[in-house]
Amino acid sequence: MNYLPSGVYHQTYAASHAWWQTSFVRAKMGLLVLFVATLPLYASLYVVSVANIALYTMLSALGVQLLTGYCGQITLGHAAFIAVGAYVTAMGVLFWGLPYPLAAVLGCLAAGLWSVVFGLPSARIKGFYQIMTTMAAQFITVDFIITHYVSRVGGRGHYFSLPPGTITIGGWPVDGEVKVYYLAAALTFVCFAAVANLLRTKVGRAWIAIRDNDIAAEAMGVNVVAYKLLAFFAAGVLAGVAGAVWIPSLYFVSPEHFQLSWSLWVVGVILIGGVGSLHGVVFGAFFVTVILELLKFAVIPLADFYPALTERFLYLKEAAFGLAIVLFLLYEPRGLAYRWQQLKNYFNLWPFAY
Amino acid sequence: MKRLALWILAFGFGLALPAAWAQEIKLGSLNDLTGPTSDVGKDIALGIREAVQYVNDTGGINGKRIRLYLYDYGYRVPEAITTYKRFRDFDKVVGVLGWGTGDTEALSPTVSKDRLPYLSHSFAAKLTDPKTAPYNFVYGTDYSSNARAAMTAWFDEMWMKDPRFRDARAKGEKPRVIMFYAFPVPYASAPIRALKNHAALLGFEVGPDQDVSLVALDTKSQVLGAKAFRPHLAWHGNTTMSVAATIKDAHALALGADHIVNNWGYDENLVRLAGPAAEGVMGIAVTAFYGEKAPLMDKVVEYAKKINPGVPQEVRMIRTVQGWAQVLMMTEAMRRADKAGKLTGPGLREAFETFQGWTPGLGVPPITLTATDHRTSSVIPIYRVRGGKFEPVKNVDLKARWSKEWESEWFGY
Repeated sequence: MNYLPSGVYHQTYAASHAWWQTSFVRAKMGLLVLFVATLPLYASLYVVSVANIALYTMLSALGVQLLTGYCGQITLGHAAFIAVGAYVTAMGVLFWGLPYPLAAVLGCLAAGLWSVVFGLPSARIKGFYQIMTTMAAQFITVDFIITHYVSRVGGRGHYFSLPPGTITIGGWPVDGEVKVYYLAAALTFVCFAAVANLLRTKVGRAWIAIRDNDIAAEAMGVNVVAYKLLAFFAAGVLAGVAGAVWIPSLYFVSPEHFQLSWSLWVVGVILIGGVGSLHGVVFGAFFVTVILELLKFAVIPLADFYPALTERFLYLKEAAFGLAIVLFLLYEPRGLAYRWQQLKNYFNLWPFAY
Repeated sequence: MKRLALWILAFGFGLALPAAWAQEIKLGSLNDLTGPTSDVGKDIALGIREAVQYVNDTGGINGKRIRLYLYDYGYRVPEAITTYKRFRDFDKVVGVLGWGTGDTEALSPTVSKDRLPYLSHSFAAKLTDPKTAPYNFVYGTDYSSNARAAMTAWFDEMWMKDPRFRDARAKGEKPRVIMFYAFPVPYASAPIRALKNHAALLGFEVGPDQDVSLVALDTKSQVLGAKAFRPHLAWHGNTTMSVAATIKDAHALALGADHIVNNWGYDENLVRLAGPAAEGVMGIAVTAFYGEKAPLMDKVVEYAKKINPGVPQEVRMIRTVQGWAQVLMMTEAMRRADKAGKLTGPGLREAFETFQGWTPGLGVPPITLTATDHRTSSVIPIYRVRGGKFEPVKNVDLKARWSKEWESEWFGY
């Protein structure tokens, strides 16, 4: 169904490069768009808020996927750039009186440039050493600069609380789960479309070449340093988008929201979803967000019979995340996205084995 | 196949049974059992479960049972949000028992919009101002008042009376204070502004703040950073684990300062972890310590033994008692709201605001709440460690001493 019938060939370049090749795929994607667009009409606000967290996780992990999965630059400090995006957006709205969209664009640019600063060492180092520099980004940005200086701008400090109604897009206030959901869904769609297309251009191919073998890439004439920095910039901008989406969901921002644990969390997302796959970001984000909620559903009915369950065994939930990563690394190193591909292949070829 | 059917049957039964219990009131509780504040969070969760059992055993809410939904969120703000929304939309609870300052302050605008009363373990002063947080309630004195009271108690009892400071006083020296707390953690940083304001009021010199993580095991560099200032007094604004580490390091490096500790750093574990270094440490306790003589304490111990027999008595702490205080305050408000026939969010809020000198026992100072002020009390009991045990030093009444400031200036931060 993803394949054209035998003997039917593309007539134009446009057709051969089309994302959605057959009417089946087009119908499928149409249904997906319809589903995403109408979800708040029939789902409860709880489901919408879980979806919001999943979308935020997706946007957070997308930059990591681009940097780690496509350009081969491992990062453990991505929350720092999300924080820069969130803080610049919040400060733009709160202190400089900018409209939210403009503040968000500024936040994205600031996050991108800040990311380039910490990408600079990648010109000289890679592997474990680079992991150390990205972790440094985390501690320098969040634990030092934002905590000690930025948070203290104006008033009692340590966090910013935005007055209700200050976040508007063209006069429409963005408040409540449903509006945040549409904003997050739209931005997620735009970002994924942008990254998917970017990866098919010269830039994307250069990144993939660097990931696969940087020396070979350089020998072929790819300016390795420039493209690495470009990857850091793009990843930073995507982190900025995630930060900008975070602001209207709470009207509140504190350094506590962007700790190292969140950087590790989004790396876990792409490990579970599949490194080097955009599908992987979506699957991974859903997995880690929804599994935690499903575990609650599993535990709560049982707690009626054994009330101490919630107090004594909920640490299993934490362990489950670590276990999931270990099991994925052992048994499905290519992540959920690969499993999805296998599934599709099975149905495409059915009833034949290959 | 047969086994599968049995499982499905059992599961379906499990889902259907709760529905069969008529007349139950749902109560949500957000706790940290696995995150950085779990050092105090686990004992609280046990206490909450036991207290709810006690309330149900003694007639519930005017005959209605309470059904408790207790979730761990690992101190992660995103999960606190989804869990809160689960409480609101899925479990449909009447009130929420909350946890940390970060998530409680983050959720505060949402809570006001949803009109769902939220009684938190965080006592951040911002939560006690009904103008900005109309649906937030606390069951103990707020952090800012705590800090002011502890500083006042040290100033009165130690600086003015202790012979160690006679020379310094005679020379006209100002007392020097240093503050150890985790800068990025809202709980730890919440009272700092009030504390600095109070230091100025009492004529303290304030040294450079020292950032100590909540999970710190080694704080020597911070202690050395503080030592150059030669402080007489150190404020500790973290939870027990890192406070104990700091006090031990201060002892080892001969910082030479007295210590005052906020309530979440001041419990039985502090003495256990810091040992002789904890001697003389002063701090705030919002309830009586576990097993101490106080009204209703016999029930706390009885239920701890009955419901959680596997947890040894010697590891139970004041946190259990705090869990009880929180549950009993919430259920008292529920009882009042139910009697008025308005067991809804706004009804519950009104019920809270009728509290006039109410106390559940357990050493909780009488709680008075009004529609314009959600601070529970102005009387703050200060304790001191003496021979490995806690002894009361004095009750500081902030309102009696600074009535003008208490009414207006100190309100809401």
